[in-house]
Amino acid sequence: MSKLTILVVEDDAPIRNLITTTLRAHEYRFITSVSGEGAVMEAASHNPDIILLDLGLPDIDGVEVIRRIRTWSNVPIIVISARSEDTDKIDALDAGADDYLTKPFSVEELLARLRVTQRRLALMQTGGAPQAVFVNGGLVIDYAAGCVTLNGEELHLTPLEYKLLCLLARNTGKVLTHKFITQSVWGTNWENDVASLRVFMATLRKKLESAPDSPQYIQTHIGIGYRMLKIE
Amino acid sequence: MEPQKQNPVNRTDEHILVCLSSAPSNARIIRTAARMADAFHAQFTALFVETPDHAVASPENKQRLQDNRHLAEQLGAKFETVFGEDVPYQIAQFARIAGVTRIVLGRSAATRRRLPGRPPLTDQLIAYAPELDIHIIPDHDADTAYRPRRARQSQTADILQNIAKSAGILAAATALSIAFYHLNFTNANIIMVYILGVLLTAIATPHRIYSLVSSIASVFIFNYLFTIPRFTLTAYETGYPVTFVVMFLTAFITGTFASRYKEQARQSARIAHRTKILLDTDQMLAKAKGRDEILTATARQIVKLLGRNIVVFDTAAAGRPAPRLFPANDRADAPYDLEHEWPTVRWVLEHNHAAGATTDTLPDARYLYLALRVNERVYGAVGIEAENDPLDASEQSILLSILGECALALENEKNAREKEASVVLAEREQLRANLLRAISHDLRTPLTSISGNASNLLGNADRFDEETKRQLYTDIYTDSMWLINLVENLLSATRIEEGRMTLRTTAELLDDIVAETIQHIGRKAAGHKLTAVYEDAFLLVRADAQLIVQVLANLVDNAIKYTPKGSSIVVSTRRAGNMAEISVADDGPGIPDAEKQQIFEKFYCGENKIADNRRSLGLGLYLCRAIVEAHGGQISVADNAPQGTVFRFTLPVEEVTLHE
Repeated sequence: MSKLTILVVEDDAPIRNLITTTLRAHEYRFITSVSGEGAVMEAASHNPDIILLDLGLPDIDGVEVIRRIRTWSNVPIIVISARSEDTDKIDALDAGADDYLTKPFSVEELLARLRVTQRRLALMQTGGAPQAVFVNGGLVIDYAAGCVTLNGEELHLTPLEYKLLCLLARNTGKVLTHKFITQSVWGTNWENDVASLRVFMATLRKKLESAPDSPQYIQTHIGIGYRMLKIE
Repeated sequence: MEPQKQNPVNRTDEHILVCLSSAPSNARIIRTAARMADAFHAQFTALFVETPDHAVASPENKQRLQDNRHLAEQLGAKFETVFGEDVPYQIAQFARIAGVTRIVLGRSAATRRRLPGRPPLTDQLIAYAPELDIHIIPDHDADTAYRPRRARQSQTADILQNIAKSAGILAAATALSIAFYHLNFTNANIIMVYILGVLLTAIATPHRIYSLVSSIASVFIFNYLFTIPRFTLTAYETGYPVTFVVMFLTAFITGTFASRYKEQARQSARIAHRTKILLDTDQMLAKAKGRDEILTATARQIVKLLGRNIVVFDTAAAGRPAPRLFPANDRADAPYDLEHEWPTVRWVLEHNHAAGATTDTLPDARYLYLALRVNERVYGAVGIEAENDPLDASEQSILLSILGECALALENEKNAREKEASVVLAEREQLRANLLRAISHDLRTPLTSISGNASNLLGNADRFDEETKRQLYTDIYTDSMWLINLVENLLSATRIEEGRMTLRTTAELLDDIVAETIQHIGRKAAGHKLTAVYEDAFLLVRADAQLIVQVLANLVDNAIKYTPKGSSIVVSTRRAGNMAEISVADDGPGIPDAEKQQIFEKFYCGENKIADNRRSLGLGLYLCRAIVEAHGGQISVADNAPQGTVFRFTLPVEEVTLHE
């Protein structure tokens, strides 16, 4: 895999050092920025492959940075937030961020997120045009036929489960918020939709996952949303 | 209207009483009494004895009484009303109960004989209350000829009606007597019939004059019709004059007692009514919780008492208070012109003094406003619709008592609230102190270890072999993880203590929460067997996921910490009615019963029996309880069979209607 360039936007020097040291140790290239305005500039001029963005920046709001970058670029953005900024995290995801990391995070977590995003990037690059068939490990979705197979066996899904699965598949690697999912599936964002969503996700996962305790395909982000993982 | 300025400085024990009347000269007496009160620094009370005559007093007299009362209050008097027929007795009683030391009277009132044959007021007062100083003020120049006059026009009809009643009863008695006469009954029976007639007259008519006239008439009719010679006003028998006198006296005295008894019954009924209203008010106020309920209860009572529209202004909130209307007869649409009334309300609130309709201050207002106050502290204002229809003395007196009760209740409520707040504040201070103590003690250990290890690695890295270095790195990592966990708990604790525990509850799959916790704890549980058992995969709970994960993580973390390696820990979920129960069971050494009571207390951290176990802040289980209870659930601890401990907590189940 070619070396990726990662833009690290973080105003706190020790955390920035921690991230850059980790990146260097794992042979990523990186550029850094300490402010939101700087981040937008760097993103425009260097065209990084992934952006690691701290939400608590001194100048402009991290969510605003995402909105500005999203006006011209689909570059994967991973936001970093402190625990108390839970709603900011959801706002950031709704604004177009792909994933998030909560402080304090471990180095392994950071690397895992980067790997997931990297796979998503690969997917985005290969499949520029909408594919007729989605393949992820043993999971195959034939959009045209409207049929899903897992390890060669056909899965019997309700229309709603199929809809959810397609939505997750089309956004593989990206964390989808409850709001985004209910909005896409039901067109509304009611409290009851989120409760229903939990149940449909649980039934879908039951059909999909062989070991529910360590899900392979669909990851739950409690209080945030769900994500389809790309399997190598 | 309301007694004001009751608290002049240097009050002595003197208490001066002035009696109010509707006489024009009363004003002068009030002024003199006020000057005396001022000179003595005495408490000053204006007393009105409401007699049966007052009810039939003319409007001018009522108005003059109002004016006199008003004057007295302006001069600093506290107004009181008592009811009774015997004025000197009532004054003496009041003086004794209220601790009055001096009474100021006008000379005409003092010397006038109310009834022929009764001693003047002063003599009677002295007889009833010999210890009182009585001051008599000359007032004869003002109105020697003044007699309380009744209202005329409205009374004429009443008088005619009463005359008719008396005459009717007399005629009936006469008719019966004639019948008796023809049946040859003795005269004694006839006399008894007439006395009965006078007694009935006394009961049927409001004033003694009717029974008096009836008595006289009875004697003459008896003389005229039934004594020999009949149909003359003479009697031959020598005993008759005595019979007439005895008959008259018996009839008159019986009549007088009857009417007095009737009057007393009426007054007791009124006093009972007043007492009942005040008692009711007391009870309602005692039951009322909080300012709103107190004001509502008061307003309802006043509406019940007066049958008028009431408006209440509560000054609790900053800025202009909003009116709360309590319409009489439950008319929902009592018109109230706030813009028109507001200046008066503001004046009342600012000056702590009554104003509005029927007063001299801002009488344009449609309502009469009274301040709800205790001494100088104003809690609000009550408005009573009184345009063109002033309240009478007894209504006002009850009203003032109710308002006084209400203001006291408001003050008590405020004091209770302040006390509660100060207790909470003290507790918070205590917590802060405890936290600081705990933090300064317990944070130093890991921080010393981290900084020491890091400094060693920085300065002497080349002297350590790989194995030692690895150990140092591990220690730094473990200690900082411990700190991270501690900080999370501390943050939550402060959130709870500051009352900022705002739950962001959503419907969550219990499965997800358990899975998230196990994933979170994962590495720490390396030496233990950690398993999850689900009874119902689709159990939804209403919870703040992040906080419940913290609860579960704390419980599992504790299980790992306090059980030897190799122990098994089982997290299980099940549904129990409309609650979901989550339990964390271990097969470790268990918790002694004595400690089970205390483990949920703040800063409780048991005996550290396990060697090499870092001291805990004793916040974990305290937080668990606070979080679970904030969700409406309960947390408990019990023994596990055959050994170990089970922590259980419940959360409300979320029922979901699937939305396809």
